[in-house]
Amino acid sequence: MKLSTFLATTAALAIGASAVYAEGADIFVIGGKPDDPFWSIVKRGAEDAALVVEAQGGSVTWLGPQNYDNLGVDAAELIRQAIDQGADGVIGPNWVPEAMDPAFQAVVDAGIPLVIYNAGGLEAADRLGALNYVGAVDYLAGVAGGEWLGNNGGTVGLCVNSLPGAANIEDYCNGFAEGMENTGHTATTLPLPATAQGNVTAVAQAVRAHLLQNPDINAVFATANLDAVGIVQGIQQAGKAGQVQICGINFDEAILTNIKSGQQACAIDQQGYQQGFYAVSILNGHINYGLSIPTREILTGPGVVDASNIDATMLGAGKGTR
Amino acid sequence: MSPDAPRTSGPAASIGNLIRRPEFGTLIGTIVVYAFFASLGGKVFLGAPGWSAFLTMAAEVGIIALPVGLLMIAGELDISVGAVVPAAALTCALVSGHYDLPTWYGVLAGLAVGLMIGFINGYLVSRTAIPSLIITIGTMFGTMGLTLGLTVLIAGSTGVFMTPDPVAKLMLGESINFMFRVTIFWWLGFALVIYYLLHVAPWGNWVFALGGDRDSARNAGIPIRRVTIGLYMLSGFAAAFVGVSQVLTFGSAQVAAGQAFIFNSIMCVVIGGVLLTGGAGSVVGIVLGTLTFSIVNQGIFFSGLDPNYGSIIIGALLLIAVMSNDTFRKLALSYATKK
Repeated sequence: MKLSTFLATTAALAIGASAVYAEGADIFVIGGKPDDPFWSIVKRGAEDAALVVEAQGGSVTWLGPQNYDNLGVDAAELIRQAIDQGADGVIGPNWVPEAMDPAFQAVVDAGIPLVIYNAGGLEAADRLGALNYVGAVDYLAGVAGGEWLGNNGGTVGLCVNSLPGAANIEDYCNGFAEGMENTGHTATTLPLPATAQGNVTAVAQAVRAHLLQNPDINAVFATANLDAVGIVQGIQQAGKAGQVQICGINFDEAILTNIKSGQQACAIDQQGYQQGFYAVSILNGHINYGLSIPTREILTGPGVVDASNIDATMLGAGKGTR
Repeated sequence: MSPDAPRTSGPAASIGNLIRRPEFGTLIGTIVVYAFFASLGGKVFLGAPGWSAFLTMAAEVGIIALPVGLLMIAGELDISVGAVVPAAALTCALVSGHYDLPTWYGVLAGLAVGLMIGFINGYLVSRTAIPSLIITIGTMFGTMGLTLGLTVLIAGSTGVFMTPDPVAKLMLGESINFMFRVTIFWWLGFALVIYYLLHVAPWGNWVFALGGDRDSARNAGIPIRRVTIGLYMLSGFAAAFVGVSQVLTFGSAQVAAGQAFIFNSIMCVVIGGVLLTGGAGSVVGIVLGTLTFSIVNQGIFFSGLDPNYGSIIIGALLLIAVMSNDTFRKLALSYATKK
């Protein structure tokens, strides 16, 4: 594995070196639809990094699918398109390994340096012979939430799982439990029945009932945006505002407002801007000057939004970087 | 199943009559379920927190279950309510949040969306021979797609945020004593109006007649198209009302919400003793069925039972309720034929 990475890197160096004198690095970034709220933030990070790439005579091209109906195949097609257009470097998420691995393999086989970002993890980067992985890990996001609450007065935690069975939600909840345990506390999970799915009132009422029945719970973890808004009301209606803290995965305007007003303690963010920004920067430095980042697996999350950085976060949200 | 079969208006003359009323089975179910969870949930469930929890939940699903119940009495289904809830919520949030217009514009726009989808449903059901189940599944997906597409197009995000004006929030989204959502009173209002429509006004007879025998109803001169369209507009309006009140309560609307209301509303109606084949049912039954459903849903969280098994209890309850309804209905009918 390591050897293949090394070989790919040296091969890429040779090609990259010739590109330097030509006109800088032409980097192709495969990502989500540009109008997707999350991906527009990633794209913004890539664009900001592109300023340096362009100053050095290169270019950054964003390739996104028209829709997500046939994601794996469409994304593989975009990767091949990048090779055909003479990419000096390729950045892509490994969303659907079965469909996309052969295309990524073609990138490496052509001697083009590759960075995997957003999805796939370091494991995919190693398997494919990519330079690095830039992204977040769901489980660690849960751990961050658990540790934040555990370090800020939470002693008995509860993870609200409104989608029992979904792998990423299970990861969040298991991570949260580990985070609480790391700080010397405990946590349980509250799975909601299918009759509550997508019904914020049902989530609020379920959490309220559970809090009243288990008065020792003082730290709640939300795994979806609308759940967090519902849980804030559930806590209020249980008469426990100020006694029970809530932290959640991801955020939107409603959640930022709640953090600003102190109704929600924190939100865990995978920081998509960093994914676009660092993936492009790492690849550009590598192609142009043979630079490398010895740290493998660049984690862009978990980032924590709480009272200490809420104003900067809101400013960033207004500018499309958060 | 003649059109005038189990009409259930008028005061009960005696205990015997009461027991033979079709809602009686539902009432027993409500009491049994309440007693069951009261014995497990203790003081908290018996007190205001317990009552407000299941009443708040019952109010939302109940507002939708009432007109869905009318449709089922008339022999039709409405699956699209699950898509109308988020469509109305997002319309309201887009108008009053994204475009920053007064809250009432958003509320009216949201309700108008519900009426419009209801009209389309009613028009298609009354003009074609396609079963209403299929038509409303179609309009459900159509509405979901439009909601997602337009929201992303306009707001660039799948969730929209709004700050409701205090008067609107007070009327539709506030909680009394931090517990009892005002929707509970709206539910009561909906129940009274629909009780009048179904059991007092002549229009109600038409609804029963539609579910009993559509052809006879047409031959009897009932304007079945107008009644069908009216019924669907009512259910669209009710679903939109719940969507709008949710967005005013929580200040945030998400495209992926509302699915649960489809099965939940049908469950409430069936627990309430409405025949799936149409032609029989009552408003009191639907209200009691909604209460039973909500007590079970909330009771699980008060009871200390493992929430992992919550759905089993909900499913078992539905089956038991329908079986006991059938028993009481047979009792009522056999008594009537003996006379």
